[in-house]
This record gives sequence, C-alpha cells and structure tokens, in this order.
Amino acid sequence: MGLLSFINSGISGLYAAVPRHVINNYEHDKWFRKEDIREIIDKIGVKERRFADDKTCSSDLCYAAAQKLITDMKINREEIDLLVFISQTPDYRMPATSVILQERLGLSTSAITFDINLGCSAFLYGLTIVYSMMAGGQIRKALILDGETRSKVYSHKDRKTAFLFGDAGVAALIEQSSKFSQSFFSLNSDGSRESLIKVNAGGYRNMSSAETVKEKVIDEYGNIRSEENGYMNGADVFNFVIREVPKDFNRLLEFSATDISSLDYFVFHQANSYINGFLAKKLKLPEDKVPSTIEKFGNTSSVSIPLTIVSELKDHLKTHKKLLLSGFGVGLTWGTAIIEVDDCIIGDIVEV
Amino acid sequence: MEEKFFTSFAEALEMEAGQIKVQDTFRDYENYSSLTELSVLAMLDSEFGIEIEMKEFNKYLTVGDLVQLVAVRSAK
Repeated sequence: MGLLSFINSGISGLYAAVPRHVINNYEHDKWFRKEDIREIIDKIGVKERRFADDKTCSSDLCYAAAQKLITDMKINREEIDLLVFISQTPDYRMPATSVILQERLGLSTSAITFDINLGCSAFLYGLTIVYSMMAGGQIRKALILDGETRSKVYSHKDRKTAFLFGDAGVAALIEQSSKFSQSFFSLNSDGSRESLIKVNAGGYRNMSSAETVKEKVIDEYGNIRSEENGYMNGADVFNFVIREVPKDFNRLLEFSATDISSLDYFVFHQANSYINGFLAKKLKLPEDKVPSTIEKFGNTSSVSIPLTIVSELKDHLKTHKKLLLSGFGVGLTWGTAIIEVDDCIIGDIVEV
Repeated sequence: MEEKFFTSFAEALEMEAGQIKVQDTFRDYENYSSLTELSVLAMLDSEFGIEIEMKEFNKYLTVGDLVQLVAVRSAK
C-alpha cells in the first residue's frame, strides 16, 4: 500500500517563476474561431496563462526561482546536499537536468542530484523522496525544483489541449525541524491508463523521424497534431479522476486519523476549473479553503500545486497551518498528502 | 427516477427535456461534444451516484440505455 508518514521534515521556503509572456486565451485565435474558443474557455476556466519563449526551458524557470530563494533566505549553497528536478520537459534526453542545475546554482559536487519524470502528481512524489532521504542521512538542506513548459508539448491546433496548458517553475527548500511534526502521503499508479495522456513518439519505443513530426488531422473535428505532440483523452481522465481522487482523499484522512475540519487549505492540482469545481463539490469543501490559479496560469502540470500555494497562500502560511495536497494526471498517477507548514517563507512570483 | 434523469440529462446537454426521446442516439445530438460529455459523466456521478468506466459508458448508445443504467445502478 502506497501509504507513508514522516516526522520533522517540511517546506521552509517556496518560490516560483513564470514566463513574462501572457497569453490571453480568448484572443488566442490563430487556429480557431473566437466563438468556438469561448465555449471551451468558459468550461475549462483558463483565462490567461504564460508561455516560455524558444530559449527558455523548465530549468530556467526553476533556476530563477531558486536563485531568488537562495538570495532572499540567505542560504549557504554549501549546505544544499540534495537537488531533485521534477519535469517531463527536461533540457535534454541526457544528461539529467538536475546535474546541470547543480553547476548553475553553484552547489557542491558532493550534492546528490537526480531527475523525477512524472507529471501532475509529481510534487507529492518529490516530497516523499526528499523526506525519505533526509530521514536516512546527513542531508542538511534539499531543493526540489519543479518546472514545466507544457506549452511546447501540445499542438496549438488541437482544441482538446490548445487552451489548457501553461508554463512555470518553482523552487522548494526542504529542511528538518521539529516544527513540522507529522506528514502523510498516499501515492498511486495505474499503467493500464498510460495512453490517456501521452506523447507517443520521440522516445525510444517510437523514435523521432520525419514521419513522427508530421502534423496530421486526427479526428472528425479537424484537430491537428503530430505523434510528438501531447495527446489527452479528457473524458476518460475526468471520469477516472472524479472516481479515484475522492477515494484516495478519504483513504489518507483515515490513515492519518485527520479530522477534515482541522485542515486549513486544500490545494488541488489545477487540471481545469470544471474538474476542480466538481471535486470540491463532491468532497463538500468550503470554497474559501480551496485556492485556485487555473484562471491566471492554466494547467502547469506538476508545478500547479506549489505555484498555487505561492500565488494564493503567500500571506497565510506565517503561522502553523495544515494543508491537504491532491495531485493527479499523466501515468496515470495520483496522490494525496497532508503536510504541516509553519513560518514558510514565500517569495513574490518572479517573471522571466 | 426516469423523469429526474431526463431533466438532468437535458440540463447537462443544455437542451430542453422535451427534445430528448428514449430511442435517440444521444451522441448524434448537435449539443453532444467532448465538453458536454463531461457534464453527462458528472451528472451521473453527482445526481445518481453512478461511477462508471468509459469502456462501459461507450457501449451505451441510446437515451434508453442510460435510462436503464440509472434504473439498475442508481444509488439513490
């Protein structure tokens, strides 16, 4: 059973960076008629999002967030013994982007670095891995850098995905302290649904070729994409999420013996406002405890949970708070976490 | 139950209940799209407590098939 609990590890600082280029979704009409776009946007609730330019990678967004965190919090770079980079849009197929970031950030060569290749649930996976490593060694400080440039993954001519995704990066400083007390996690995976959200070609199963980059009309609605663009079966994902996410939510409440009323905020992966609204309603959560950034940043995959914390809870985490986090998506993988924060330093969002 | 289904189904598809007939192939409605499909799935879950795999949902073709589903599986 993928249930975990930890003591004395937590997030002591959280910073975020987004590209400065704002996309107004209602005006994003190069490939579609404005009146068709409006219906989609009203349902998914993404009014604006940020697009990285050709030269900017996920790692650059994370780098900007990390630099600000290290400077603002006056962190001694020598004390960062672990750097984990979470992304499905890395700089290269190899080497791991985390290693490149070790050098760029001026961290010690004795620091541990590696990448995690997971999507919307990945911030939760990242926390459990870092907490586990901290419990098992002499790690003083750890950085989780979580970045995505999903705008580069999906075809802008496929209306199923063209209006949903945005780019962002975060840096989270993880430390051990008795103030964090206990945290709980439930993590899950279902590979039978691997094709629901997928980039089919460009890896080693279906290697890149002239054929895989060719754009094709893929359905009766005239949507266009290549085999190297992302694909998503929205209805199947939606149906899975509304069934499994509440189950996992309740499973973790039971495992951790947490009274739902003791939780201060419920931070969900920002999938789209329709799914998120449905989940909040099904779980009967009070609206003011469910922060959202889907309107201004869209779906940023694994970044959306920490980005929502930075954007919406900046001034609310100075005193002790209990947060429930819920991530779900590509894989499919999904998870729920209950974490405690106390005097978490949160920076203003950096524009790159 | 059947009446409640017709009302909820019409609402999900942004249609009038009177426009919906048992024998209709619902995916042929002009208002049926990947967006309104989400509303139908959400409606089955929240109004009738029906959690369904897409593999199964995709086998249902007519409004009557869904009426039957609701009659058999409804939790309320």
